[in-house]
Amino acid sequence: MRARLATMNPANDPGGANLSAAPSGAVIRPWPRQWVPALDRSAVRTGLADIAGPAVGITAWGLVTGVALVQGGLPVSAALLMTFIVYAGSAQLATLPLLVGGEPLPIVWVTALLVNLRFVIFAAATRHHATHLTVRQRLLTGYLFGDLPFALFMRRHGDDDLHGTPTHWGHVFGTSGVAWLVWQVASVVGIVLGDALPPEWRIDLAATLALICVLIPMMLAPRTAKGRQHVHVSDRVWSALPTLTGVCVTGGVSVATIIWPMRLGLVPAIAAGVAVAVVLSHWRVGPTEGSAVTA
Amino acid sequence: VSAYLVVGLVGLTLTTFVARSGFWLLPNRVKLPATVQQALRFAPACALAAIIAPTLFTVDGTPSASWTDYRLYGTVAATLVFVRWRNMIAAICVGMAVFTVLRVVYA
Repeated sequence: MRARLATMNPANDPGGANLSAAPSGAVIRPWPRQWVPALDRSAVRTGLADIAGPAVGITAWGLVTGVALVQGGLPVSAALLMTFIVYAGSAQLATLPLLVGGEPLPIVWVTALLVNLRFVIFAAATRHHATHLTVRQRLLTGYLFGDLPFALFMRRHGDDDLHGTPTHWGHVFGTSGVAWLVWQVASVVGIVLGDALPPEWRIDLAATLALICVLIPMMLAPRTAKGRQHVHVSDRVWSALPTLTGVCVTGGVSVATIIWPMRLGLVPAIAAGVAVAVVLSHWRVGPTEGSAVTA
Repeated sequence: VSAYLVVGLVGLTLTTFVARSGFWLLPNRVKLPATVQQALRFAPACALAAIIAPTLFTVDGTPSASWTDYRLYGTVAATLVFVRWRNMIAAICVGMAVFTVLRVVYA
């Protein structure tokens, strides 16, 4: 019943007349039952439809990651293990040079945590959905809930009045299940392929380029609640300024401290960049608020 | 696979769980202060920069930026393509192509 209400509310379907989102009322309990919440069957189908297009991007990203892991110097077996259990592309690529360099594991883990911090923001934005789940369901659902499923979920269910219904989890598991499967297949293909390519091609550069493609949207497109309004270019540059400056500061400090032992320079580098960005974002609050209203 | 890598990868898996599910496991009364939220917003970008910059601008553990490091031209090309078209596949292909052409021509 809750599921029905959640999708009957027109506000829940910002995409407009979407008949596929209409509830069939069929709730499924896939294996493993203690780990997966009840899912609405039609919501799963909606999720599958939503992820179909982005799946192409996941394929490319998985391929690049797989190739880069092996070309970056990781043994094939370790690359496969990493893909299967870590399941966090940008963190995998970010920690790759550290792991290959045999840097201390705490440094590796802290780096991965920092790269993954955006998921804490995602989790904070969706926590009211998760309050009905058991601990094990929260663990598995959160683990599978990556960038794209989150973005698709917020687009479809971000403004719902009801939370955490089988409709919501159906969508989450529809998108996340496909994302997981596509990612794993693409990564394995990439790992096999990467093992066959000659190292002088420097395919590891592709990993750096991929990370840059992850980094740029973080700098240039601060997330707005919804309905991306048209904003003047100068305002976009202005709003990107704190992150842009923070990134430059971090980059400079991390290069300057590269001679420090055990990559310890990462810590002051990131701390300095974040501090500068936070200070700058406070400092520019006045002028942007005025211009944002008129934009 | 060495023990170092196995332990490292298991730890990395835990960081995935902590980042994605950790906040859901906290009691509801735990709220993120505004300053912490801001820091969280900037930290991922800075963490990526801390990995990317040394990869591009250091060689054998010392700072280095050379006109003959063709990776930099590939990186600039990929960045421009991505900023303009927001297409990761195109950006990586163009970046690798620029690098590869320069590498082969000036080898």
